[in-house]
Amino acid sequence: MNMTDLQTVFAAEFLRRIRSRAFVIGMAIGVVGILTFTKLPALIGNAFAGSSTIVLIGDETLTSPAEALLKSDYDIAAKLPAGTIVTQAVLRTNKAAAALTLSKTRQGITVAVDARDPSAMRRADIKRDLLPLQLSLATGKTTAQVNALTSIPITIKTIGSKFSNSNQAQQVKGIAYMLIFFLYILILLNSQLVTSSVAEEKTSRIAELLVASVDPATLLAGKILAGTAIAVVQMLIWIAAGVLTGGSPGTSQTADANAMFSLSQIFDVLTPLVIVAFLAFFVLGMLQLCTIFAALASLINRTEDLGSITGPLTIPVVGALFIAIAALGSPGAPWIVTCSFVPILSPFVMFARIAVSNVPAWQVVLALAINLGALYGIALFAGKVYRVGMLLYGRTPKLSQVWNVIRS
Amino acid sequence: MLEVDHVHKEFGSVRAVRDVHFTIPDGTTFGLLGPNGAGKTTTMRMILGILTPDGGAVRWNGQPVHANTRKHFGYLPEERGIYGKMKVRDQIAYFGKLHGMREPSLGQEVDRWIERLGITQYADRPCAELSKGNQQKVQVACAAVHRPQLLVLDEPFSGLDPVNADILLAILRELQSNGTALVLSSHQMWQLEDLCDRFCIIADGENRASGTLEELRSVFPTRVVRIGDTHGTSEINVPATTDFAAMLRELVSTKPITRFEAVEPSLHEIYLHAIGGSAA
Ligand SMILES: Nc1ncnc2c1ncn2[C@@H]1O[C@H](COP(=O)(O)OP(=O)(O)O)[C@@H](O)[C@H]1O
Ligand SMILES: [Mg+2]
Repeated sequence: MNMTDLQTVFAAEFLRRIRSRAFVIGMAIGVVGILTFTKLPALIGNAFAGSSTIVLIGDETLTSPAEALLKSDYDIAAKLPAGTIVTQAVLRTNKAAAALTLSKTRQGITVAVDARDPSAMRRADIKRDLLPLQLSLATGKTTAQVNALTSIPITIKTIGSKFSNSNQAQQVKGIAYMLIFFLYILILLNSQLVTSSVAEEKTSRIAELLVASVDPATLLAGKILAGTAIAVVQMLIWIAAGVLTGGSPGTSQTADANAMFSLSQIFDVLTPLVIVAFLAFFVLGMLQLCTIFAALASLINRTEDLGSITGPLTIPVVGALFIAIAALGSPGAPWIVTCSFVPILSPFVMFARIAVSNVPAWQVVLALAINLGALYGIALFAGKVYRVGMLLYGRTPKLSQVWNVIRS
Repeated sequence: MLEVDHVHKEFGSVRAVRDVHFTIPDGTTFGLLGPNGAGKTTTMRMILGILTPDGGAVRWNGQPVHANTRKHFGYLPEERGIYGKMKVRDQIAYFGKLHGMREPSLGQEVDRWIERLGITQYADRPCAELSKGNQQKVQVACAAVHRPQLLVLDEPFSGLDPVNADILLAILRELQSNGTALVLSSHQMWQLEDLCDRFCIIADGENRASGTLEELRSVFPTRVVRIGDTHGTSEINVPATTDFAAMLRELVSTKPITRFEAVEPSLHEIYLHAIGGSAA
C-alpha cells in the first residue's frame, strides 16, 4: 500500500465529505437534537412552572410556617389574610394555579384547595409538606424540632455494581443509552456516505481512471479511513455541544431536578476507561461496516441498486442496537455476554456492558482482538470484491458470480 | 520502451485476449486496431496493471510494470468518468497528485492545461456544469497532467464531434512532439492513420498484423492494378509478387493502354483483410 496515495485519497475524501451538504445538514440536525435532549426537560419544566405557583390564605400564624414547609415543592406567590374569597381574579393577579386556604380546627389544620386544574394538585405532597405543622400544633414543639424528629436518614447502596448509588446508575444508563444511539446513528450514517461515494465513482465511470493510478486497496482504505475520521469529528462536535449546553445552569430548579440526567456531570460518571472503550469500539464498528458496505457498493451499476445490495446489511446493525439497549438492563445475561464477542454486534454490545457493569479486562481485550481479527478478514475479502467490482459493468452480478471471481 | 509479450486473459469461459504482442519504442505513437470485442480494452487494462495477465508479461524498459512505473503512465479510458461536483481545477489537480505531482509544479501544470484547453472561465466551476466537449477536455487533462512517458487512450475519438476531435488531435500532436509515447485504440482506421507510427491489428484476441504502414503494405498479399484502355478503366487483383514491368510489357503488346497503375493497399483494406471474417 502506497502511503502517499493513501494520504492523497484520504485528504480528498475527507475534504469532499466535510464540505458536503449532507455533512453540514447532519451536523446541524445532530446539534439541534442534542440541544433538545439536554434542554427539553428544562423547557418542559418552565412550561408547567405555573402549576406549581400557589397563594396561601389564612391566619399569619399558619401561613408563615406553611410557607417554609411548602417552599420545596411550590412557589408561593402571595400570603393573603384569612377570609379572602378565592376567585379567578385572585389567582390571575397572582399568576397562581391554586389557592390553599388554611384554617385551624380542634383536630389540627384543614386545607381547602381551589385549583384551576385540580388534577395537578397532589394531595399526598401537600399532606407530607404540612405534616410537621400539624404535629407542632399538636405537641407544642416548633416545626424545626418536629422536622428534626421526623426526618429519617436513608441511604441506598448497591452490591455488585460499579455505581455507588442508584441515582448515579440511572445517570450512567441514560448517558450510555445516548452514546449507543450516537454510535448507531453515526456508524450507519457515515458508512452510507462511504457507500455512496464508492457508488458515485462506479456509476460515473471514474473508477477505471482511479484504479489505473492508485492501487484499489489503497483507494478503498483511504475512503474508509476518511469516513471514520469524519464520524469521529462528528461525534466530538456532538459531545462538545452536549457538554457545553448541559453545563449551563437550567432555568428552573425543579426542572433541573427532574431532568433524566445532566451532561455537566458526564465526567463524574464516565471514567476514562469508558471513553477509551467507546472510541475504540466506535472506530472498530465503523471500520467493519464501512468496509463491507463499500465493497458491496462497488458491485452496483446504478445508484438505484444501492439500497437493495446494502439494505440487508443494516439489519444486523439495527439488531445490534436493540441488543445493546437490552444489555444496559441486564449486562450479565449469558446471551448478551456472548453477543458482546460477535463481530459487528460486539462494538455496540460490549460498549453497553462496559458502561453499566464491571467487565473483566480479559473480556474487553478478547473482544477487541476478535474484532480486529474480523476487521482484517473483512478487509481482505472487501479488497478482492472491490478490485473486481470496480470494473464490472453491465448488470449487477449475482452473489454467486462474485463469489466465483473472488475464489479464482 | 513498452513490451507487450504474448499476453492472454480469460474471464471465466470468455477468452478476451488469446495472444497479443507488440513493442512500443519511446516517444512513438502506436495504433491498436480491431473490431469491437477484439480485446483492445482488455489489452490496455493489462498494460496499465488494472488487470493482471493470465499469461505473458508487460514490461517497461525491460522491467515488469510496478505500481511506481505506473505513475509515469496516463490513461483515458473508453468509459470516461468525471466527479460532477468537483471543480475543474481540483479535479485535474487530484489526478496530478495521485500520479505523484506536488505543489508548486502541480498548480502551474494544472493552470497550463486549463489555459491550453481554453476552459479558463470554467476553472472554478463544478465539472457537471460543463458541456460534454469541455468535460472531455478535462478528462484528457486528468490523464496527461503529470506529463506521462506513456499515455494510453482507449477509443479517444469515439463520440467526439469534428471540432472537439480536431482539438484532441492538436493536443495529441503536441504530446507527440514533447516525446510522449502514445497508445491509441480504435475500430475505425482512418482516425489513426495520420497519427500513428506503428500499428497492431488484432481480432478475436489475437495479433493479425503489425508494423509500420510500409511494413503492413509490403506483406499485403495482393495488389490492385488499374488498367485504362479505349473502353475505359478496369481494376484487377493480382498477387503482390507480380512483376509489374513484365505485366505492362505484355499488356502493351496486346492492346493500346492509356493507363497502368499498381495501387498500394490503403490501411482500411489492410485492416479488413487482417481481421478476415471478424465483424468490422
Ligand atoms: N470484465 C469482463 N468480464 C467478462 N468479459 C469481459 C470483461 N471485459 C471484457 N470482456 C469480454 O472480452 C472480450 C474483449 O473485450 P474488450 O477488450 O472490451 O474488446 P474491445 O475493447 O476490443 O472492444 C469481449 O468479448 C468482452 O465481452
Ligand atoms: Mg473497448
